[in-house]
Amino acid sequence: MMQKAAHIFRLYFYQAWYSYRSLFAWSTPFSYFTSKFGFPFFSMLMFVFMAKFAGLNDPAYIIIGNILLMPATNGIYGISMTVGNERQFGAMSYLLGSPAPRAPLFLGRAFFHILDGLVSVIIALPIALLIFKVNISQVHVFLLLCCLVILTITTTGLGFIMGSISLLSRDGWMFTNVIGQLLFILIGVNFAVSQLPRFLQPVSNFLPMTRVILATRQVLEGVGWSQISELLVGEILVGLVYILFGYTLFRIIERASMSTGSLDSI
Amino acid sequence: MSASFFRLGWRQMDVQLRTRVLNLWTMALFFIQPAIFSIVGMILSHAAGNTSPDLVYTVIGGGIMGMWSGLVFTSTYDIRTDRREGTLELIVGSPTSLRRVEGFRTLLNILAGLSSMAFAVLAAVLIFGYDFSGVNVTGIVISMLFILFALWCMGLFLANLLAWSRLSGTFVDLLEMPMALLCGFMYPISILPPWLQKVSAVFPIRWGLEGLRESMLSATFTPHLFSRWLLALGISLAFLLLARWLDGKVHDHIRITGELHSI
Repeated sequence: MMQKAAHIFRLYFYQAWYSYRSLFAWSTPFSYFTSKFGFPFFSMLMFVFMAKFAGLNDPAYIIIGNILLMPATNGIYGISMTVGNERQFGAMSYLLGSPAPRAPLFLGRAFFHILDGLVSVIIALPIALLIFKVNISQVHVFLLLCCLVILTITTTGLGFIMGSISLLSRDGWMFTNVIGQLLFILIGVNFAVSQLPRFLQPVSNFLPMTRVILATRQVLEGVGWSQISELLVGEILVGLVYILFGYTLFRIIERASMSTGSLDSI
Repeated sequence: MSASFFRLGWRQMDVQLRTRVLNLWTMALFFIQPAIFSIVGMILSHAAGNTSPDLVYTVIGGGIMGMWSGLVFTSTYDIRTDRREGTLELIVGSPTSLRRVEGFRTLLNILAGLSSMAFAVLAAVLIFGYDFSGVNVTGIVISMLFILFALWCMGLFLANLLAWSRLSGTFVDLLEMPMALLCGFMYPISILPPWLQKVSAVFPIRWGLEGLRESMLSATFTPHLFSRWLLALGISLAFLLLARWLDGKVHDHIRITGELHSI
């Protein structure tokens, strides 16, 4: 029993480490920084100037929102790439042919992306708060940290789903990008969800990150656990549903590929 | 000479359209990404209490963004894709110069990008009721030609510049958004801090865009409008000269060192 648990544990971290190193498609620190921070940083500035042009003079809302979206680069794009590239690089057939248990194989892809996303947001958020002189004397630091951990974990659900979809379609990366960019609109990154047209507001409730971004903003305003607990519980539930759905989708695709031999032909 | 020139152009553009432009990824760059940025602009405008968004910047600016994004992701990858697919040797070995082939391909990339602009204008007219009364239609057409020329020169420049390194793909993330940011695709350049406005002056697209916006907001030809066109033309030509110089360097490097696959 212990031996089996140790085997699964080891497999989980091996998968996590090797998939992070080899399948996130960066080979030098420079390419890591450009691919991870290039688009998010410049699109954030773009939104800030668009808001200024519209007549909104406080950029803090947009900057905090976009920083909280940073883990999505890892959680959605990174995980989707590590799953999808497995097939593109020709390693998926070997992986599916191995007797290794699937849960650590699949879910292991998230571990270092969660850590990477968490470190990014933990570094970037205080810098932004200092630059924009946001009063943080009332902020409950442990609660803020809790929000950030939940944020980086729940983001991965969409990454698992998009990774599985990229096994079904050679245009999977395009779908991942579109979903990633729709988050600029739907989850309260650049403006409050209440600003969305009425028919879109319910969509936000079914997406990961919506609640935790709102909760984090409230924590930054000095709100305590009792006021955000419902949001965080909701976020954890939504995140779990997405992660389980992603895993189930992967298993369905795996079984279908075994019976039809179609994985490499799509 | 001219018949073979046009046949070459037609064939190159046909192949480029089929193999590298007509795919879902490019379509997303032409239509979905600009639409998302336009929607963000509209909601921000609504949140600021404006009754309607500025169509010239928020909607039609999205079309310019689609043209630029499409160009960045097709032209900068052109030579790299040839190298990866093994067709670079065949092109360099053929009597037609790489420069000429790249010229036609970039032209097609830009013409395809026009669909993004057309989509944005249609959205502005059909959905938001933008009307062309009081605009300088001739000025708009001339400004668009200058923008297309500017994009073509920059596309050629980027295709050759990024042929030097296998890591060129990583630079794309540093090209797409910063250009949109600096050239004021979705807001007037005056919104930017003064030092950023100075940086943006080296890009011809900025001047072409200023001409386009001026033509959309006023029906008259002014010396200011002509100065924007002249700046767009002059800086585009400078980029073209740089592209030709780089193109020579790429060719020399390939022929002298025989390191076609190592560039």
